[in-house]
Amino acid sequence: MNRVKGKYDVLIVGASLAASACAKRMVDAGLDVVALERNILPRHKVCSGILSPRGHRFLIENFGPLPREVLHEPTSCRGVTFHFPSMISIPMDFEGGPTPHLHRKFSDYWAIKSSGVEIHEGTSFTGLEDDGKMLNVTAKQGDKEVQYKTHFVIGADGPRSRVRHSIYGDYNKSIPWFMVGQKFQRIIECPLDDDYFHFWFHPELGHYTWSHARNRRQILGVGFPVGGNLHTYHARVEKYLRDKHGVKLEPAEEMEGCSHNFGPSLINSYVFGKGNVLITGQAAGFFNMLAEGMSCALHSGAIAGEAVVEAIHSNRPVQEVYRRQIASEVKRCTDQWNPFRIIFGNPHEADFKASLRKLSKKEQLIVIRDIVRFLKIYAPYKWGRQILAQSFMRIIRGEYPSSRWL
Amino acid sequence: MKIPIIERGFIPPDPVAPDSLKGIPRQQTNPVRWKGDSWQDFVDHLKADGVIIRQERSECAVFDTDSGGLAYGLPHGIVRPNSAEDISKTLKAAQTYKVPVTTRGGGLTTEGESVAFGGLLLDMTSMNNVLEINQETMTVRTEAGIFWHQLAEMLRRDGMDYLSAPLNLTASVGGTLGVGGIDVNSPRLGCSADQAVALQVVTPTGEIVECSETENPELMERVLLGYGQFGVITEATLKIRKFSPITMKYFYYSSLRTAIEDLQFIAKEDAADYCGILTIIDRAITLLVAFDSDEREKEFNERWRKKMRGHGEIGFGIRMALHYLLHPWRFKEALYIIGRRLTLFPEFSRTEFMRDNKIVDRTVVFSRAVWKYWGGRQMVIPDLSAKAEKFAEAVERGNAVCRKYFKYYTLYCVGIKLRGRLPRYEMSCIPADASDIAYGCEFEPMLKDMDYSRDHLQAFKNEIYDIGVDMGLSYYRFGGMMKGYIRRVFPDEVVDRHLAMKREADPAMILNPDVIF
Repeated sequence: MNRVKGKYDVLIVGASLAASACAKRMVDAGLDVVALERNILPRHKVCSGILSPRGHRFLIENFGPLPREVLHEPTSCRGVTFHFPSMISIPMDFEGGPTPHLHRKFSDYWAIKSSGVEIHEGTSFTGLEDDGKMLNVTAKQGDKEVQYKTHFVIGADGPRSRVRHSIYGDYNKSIPWFMVGQKFQRIIECPLDDDYFHFWFHPELGHYTWSHARNRRQILGVGFPVGGNLHTYHARVEKYLRDKHGVKLEPAEEMEGCSHNFGPSLINSYVFGKGNVLITGQAAGFFNMLAEGMSCALHSGAIAGEAVVEAIHSNRPVQEVYRRQIASEVKRCTDQWNPFRIIFGNPHEADFKASLRKLSKKEQLIVIRDIVRFLKIYAPYKWGRQILAQSFMRIIRGEYPSSRWL
Repeated sequence: MKIPIIERGFIPPDPVAPDSLKGIPRQQTNPVRWKGDSWQDFVDHLKADGVIIRQERSECAVFDTDSGGLAYGLPHGIVRPNSAEDISKTLKAAQTYKVPVTTRGGGLTTEGESVAFGGLLLDMTSMNNVLEINQETMTVRTEAGIFWHQLAEMLRRDGMDYLSAPLNLTASVGGTLGVGGIDVNSPRLGCSADQAVALQVVTPTGEIVECSETENPELMERVLLGYGQFGVITEATLKIRKFSPITMKYFYYSSLRTAIEDLQFIAKEDAADYCGILTIIDRAITLLVAFDSDEREKEFNERWRKKMRGHGEIGFGIRMALHYLLHPWRFKEALYIIGRRLTLFPEFSRTEFMRDNKIVDRTVVFSRAVWKYWGGRQMVIPDLSAKAEKFAEAVERGNAVCRKYFKYYTLYCVGIKLRGRLPRYEMSCIPADASDIAYGCEFEPMLKDMDYSRDHLQAFKNEIYDIGVDMGLSYYRFGGMMKGYIRRVFPDEVVDRHLAMKREADPAMILNPDVIF
């Protein structure tokens, strides 16, 4: 039998960083907000945990000083080191200083609790209907179905967003999906600097290959198109690191993985929802370069919350407000993939160009050649022309066209 | 998992890394809502004391943000005091039950200083009576919740005027005295706070105290420019002067630095009664000067006019026309200037406000024009305050930040006459290294019909404020100093000394708790 759980101004699906930022904005403004989380909190989350300095600043300014419990060991990451097949390595420090290595299980819990939102744990969103006056949301608590009535729904429920699926049923089939998997291995010998996040531009290893230290173990991670085999990719990466970088590790103790919608942020193809249903965070397609999704999740989540507050204040359609306000975050995120911004500006939080200039001219050319070779593995997705077209539009109009947003 | 409670004013070491965020001791600027412990006991206590407290959601929701619109919070309840006694009872009870109390006048703060993140909001606008206009001592005694336009209206009836007030006249007198208050005559007459000769203050522990430069001078120095940390100003005695219509002149510049140099020249030589810079775009800058009397205008024309490097309107118009003929792809910029000229300037000479070619009430004209044609509904006005030598560089750097974030924006520059080195200036909007005249500049994006995320606007503001940190400046007018910057701009020794004074004056740290500590 259905049970009506109550009426809220806003219902958020998800309890991660995007949801927390969104909730904070609306709770502060005095709205009645509930967040539905399908797991029991604190819950595990697959993530590198390396937050950008901008995200770190957002957390402090909105949720206060970070408790030690929300951090892994090492607690910080000084920057990123790029490695190339030619064996040139380029370390780059984050411009804002060392940044947190978040323990997502606890950082997300801390943020959502600090937001002051009412949380319904163990509650899975299953669908929504608009009755013309309010949105009727159905969810499952165990094997019971429950209903909520609300004016606004925010989908902050990650790449496989159920809220997005409920309003755009075919969307998941329309974009390419990637798997990222990481294995945790005890260290026998590891010459990689544990102050840095390491990334390989190597087309034979995978579409996205990284390594960093966590709690006295080394993480080896790799991303590849859905359908690939994690163990095969991982074995290749492990061998490469052993042979080329002298990284000796014990057999993996743990492994984990998840799928990602890597792509919409490159080609300005975001999904922001319909009517009073807003999509935000990674569900909307926000993903920074190097797959750091947390800072843009925080900021886009906050903007979703602000848009609801502003729409109520000014009696305007929330989609219109959200889509106008989110433009700055779209710019910030998509600029990171925009070749003109990369060449003529500095859209990242670490200065790659300055680090590149420290190399000899010959090495610089080798690095550029390696990057071009690496990018070729993305050719099947036909993103290149779209990125260029969007980059031109950015020059002409000063922003990315909103006509491509769903 | 236990979420730690951080003591006010204390910044714990960042567990991430000692040099995380480049060692900047950033603070939570968007505070957690107070949980409401002991709220009901507090309410019961106030009711028993005869203080009326409103708790309806509709009442509280009115105050959910300030003019800046970047911080939101709801009070648990609101008191609209009728007297200093009401405030005294409220603060005594707040100390007992440790309930945060936020004071609010016109709510014209821009960083959430007058937003209550839970607790009690003291809406001071209920105390808005003018008590006495004394033409012998040339002072007015007024309740501090009065708006400047209400005060102006009362003074005009007696042919009087205040000395200087913020251009937005819906600021309250009490709120203005707590932060500064700058007018276009501030290069001559100083900030609004410096015109207070006596105050009635309710201290954070509920004592009603009279203070002036001779009676309880220490409290006076703490309360003026004190961000509301050391007491609630309930009454103020302010200097006044005879009201006079003014005449106004404009000079036009295409170089910001030249305009600033001329502004500083006028201020230094006391060549005009009013002077300030308002920019339209980077290459169309207006320096306005105005005079209280024909004699002062005549003196300006004879002694100083020829030293001004700005152009008259026709000369400048021809230069601009030539410039855009040679740069036709910038035609939109030209149209913008023409549009501003056609809509804005007539506002300064509307017939209902003019008599014998003089502006009869600058208060109305300036306030109306500024808030109608600059910025937008939301006040996003980061500012910098500098000593004379650093000012031009500060403005140019701030202007470059504006250009990065917005297409159209305006800068408002004005001088502030200082009264020596008063204790009230320490840790205030007055730059620590300024003497005689300090200068301030507001950087104001044109936000009308625009929608920007709060993050975009806050990032813009922070980049302006970071210039202040880098150059050793201060910030003026609206709130003066921000919590997130106070330990970046001032040495820990100074902040800790003020924090110790605050703790002594306000043991439960309940009065305006989230403003600077």
